[in-house]
Amino acid sequence: MYNAFGIINPSNRHSWVEGLETYRPSGAFSFMGRYRVIDFPISNMSNSGIDRIQVYINRKPLSLTDHLGSGRHYNINSKRGRLQVLFSENTAEHDIYNTDISAYMENIECIQRMHHPYVVIAPSYMVYTQDYSELIASHVNSGADITLLYHSVDNAKDHYLSCNVLDLNRQKGVLAIEQNHGTAKSRNIFMDTYIMKTSLFIELIHKAKKMSSMYTLTDIINYECSELDIRGMAHRGFFASITDFQSYYDSNISLIDFKTATELFHEGWPIYTKTNDSCPTQYFDTANVTSSVVSNGCLIEGTIENSVIGRGCVVKKGSVVKNSIILAGAVIGENVHVENQVVDKRAQLIRVKEIVSNPSKPGYIKREDVL
Amino acid sequence: MKQNNMLAMILAGGRGSRLHDLTNKVAKPAVSYGGKYRIIDFPLSNCANSGIDVVGVLTQYESVLLNSYVAAGRRWGLDAKDSGVFVLPPREKADANLNVYRGTADAISQNIDFVDSYAPEHVLILSGDHIYKMNYAKMLAEHRANNADATIAVIEVPMKEASRFGIMNTDKETGRIVEFEEKPEHPKSNLASMGIYIFNWKLLRKMLVADMKNAESNHDFGKDIIPTLLNDGKNLFAYKFKGYWKDVGTIDSLWEANMDLLDANNELDLNDSTWKIYTEDVTTLPQYVGADADIKRSFITQGCLINGEVKNSVLFTGAQIGAGARIIDSVLMPDVVVEEGALVQRALVADGIRIGKNAIVGEADSEHIELIAKRVKGEE
Repeated sequence: MYNAFGIINPSNRHSWVEGLETYRPSGAFSFMGRYRVIDFPISNMSNSGIDRIQVYINRKPLSLTDHLGSGRHYNINSKRGRLQVLFSENTAEHDIYNTDISAYMENIECIQRMHHPYVVIAPSYMVYTQDYSELIASHVNSGADITLLYHSVDNAKDHYLSCNVLDLNRQKGVLAIEQNHGTAKSRNIFMDTYIMKTSLFIELIHKAKKMSSMYTLTDIINYECSELDIRGMAHRGFFASITDFQSYYDSNISLIDFKTATELFHEGWPIYTKTNDSCPTQYFDTANVTSSVVSNGCLIEGTIENSVIGRGCVVKKGSVVKNSIILAGAVIGENVHVENQVVDKRAQLIRVKEIVSNPSKPGYIKREDVL
Repeated sequence: MKQNNMLAMILAGGRGSRLHDLTNKVAKPAVSYGGKYRIIDFPLSNCANSGIDVVGVLTQYESVLLNSYVAAGRRWGLDAKDSGVFVLPPREKADANLNVYRGTADAISQNIDFVDSYAPEHVLILSGDHIYKMNYAKMLAEHRANNADATIAVIEVPMKEASRFGIMNTDKETGRIVEFEEKPEHPKSNLASMGIYIFNWKLLRKMLVADMKNAESNHDFGKDIIPTLLNDGKNLFAYKFKGYWKDVGTIDSLWEANMDLLDANNELDLNDSTWKIYTEDVTTLPQYVGADADIKRSFITQGCLINGEVKNSVLFTGAQIGAGARIIDSVLMPDVVVEEGALVQRALVADGIRIGKNAIVGEADSEHIELIAKRVKGEE
């Protein structure tokens, strides 16, 4: 096993999840009811034996720091391991200077102090499972300078538009990293996941800073493509990039199918999250729930179909929830019909009885809003 | 101990032999209840919520699982600097042989040194196998206001059932206990002892030292300590508890206690966020409900996978119900698998049991609840 530390990054300025992101960074988004998106990268690292993890936050830290706590629930050794939350302070929202490189520069001492020879960098806004220890071993065996993880898709024309794509040669050498302009169906979506030596990482941070104040880590690696041995490695299994509202909605809905879920959740690869100590969910006589994922602490009297229900939701008599994602603590009142919606935390849908959006453009109900 | 100078001791050594195979390998306090809990989560959570910081748990029968379970005090938040859950099985001492706990009082007597190390003003004695929510801080306040030597929590039971309990006869005005009768044939009151006691430690310590030397004694709180205190004319008060309280002694009553959770606004109210019951944090998937599932009047927790019909039932962590299977009036303990087409009625299925394809278990009109503790083979 090779000794590596982990870095988990916030989303970049190309990505924005309408509604949800107003309140919290993408890592803190509720996912499949009981998880937050960041549970996936941290669990991947923890399960891979990485127990020194730096989480970078560049805005709205409250809900994320609340959720991460001491990191104990991620099965990280409380003495030898550490989950460290690092803020980058001097960056305004949507600021063009707001790059990952500037965040690393602000915290460069924390990075330089790490004695681990390798670093794994993963995004807080993508959902996948991956054994990083296998990946590091392949990286070291290949002799490459940098390994980038990618996922091959055949729907890149109208999906993954905030993502980058890898241009690969036959030997999986990376020729370029460029934005997905939606010009081709088949693409290798870059999973914003990097493996390299810590020393090279630090070198690249300084170099990027010198070259341009707007450069990101991706930019500097793209620039180095001709100089360094940079290779792509394919990821298999479930992959979602939560970089806009539609992808948030789609990824949650697609995992309602248990077969799809088994491509993400593997035996012996637990996804940890923070417990809320909610009691089990109570179904009443009038409940009618099908094809759904339900969290604990709910009281269900209504009809739920093809939806994800967060912790502690109340679904009253005569109500219908269809093709929707309901976040924790929301109330769906009597005879309210909710369809194709993302309902944010503790919203109360009581008075207006029809809240239905077009399936091709799901709606969003604000946090703690009363409708 | 900073908060109310009361230390709690939970008696968790009993087997609960009327629970049959459920307690073959675990003590009764470790038996699962309510979808995701173990019975001992209730007194432990009550302690945490009442501001008690130090809890001793006296274990004896099949204690391996229970010891490791309660030792992780942080599950209940009992892991602050001055806080902790201490597992106290019988041990060998320099000046005495290794003795099993001979009775409830003896279990405390053998741990006088432990209690002394915290020098508490009061000691709270609890049972590890009762299901209820109670604020012990309120009981302590009453104990203090009464200037009592001991306070015993009591609950009103139906008069016709009173002869099954230890009954406290009290002075109606002051609540002072004048007489204690163990399972009286002709009860004079319906105030049943809940086995929850607050003692002034100095007094109890003296009583226990004397009790240890008494060869005639059963070393039991109900049979020996309380009667002696009354004979000595000490100030014993009853603390009236109102609310849900259940001592689940049999398979029928364990099943019933689970069924109680299915009522809307049931008295135990596990959903109350001001008095949560804490338990082990298990890593599972969320609850998956399939396209053909039909769930009515049930209590279901995370990690369950439901493709069949579930009616009037409680499903514990990780239970899996195959397509076309029917679960009716039943309790399925953690990780039970019911294969497709099987029918389970009026049954309590023990942890990890598999019920095969199209198998039929239990009967709709049986007098007693059937305990399923062995694998049931189905069609191949």
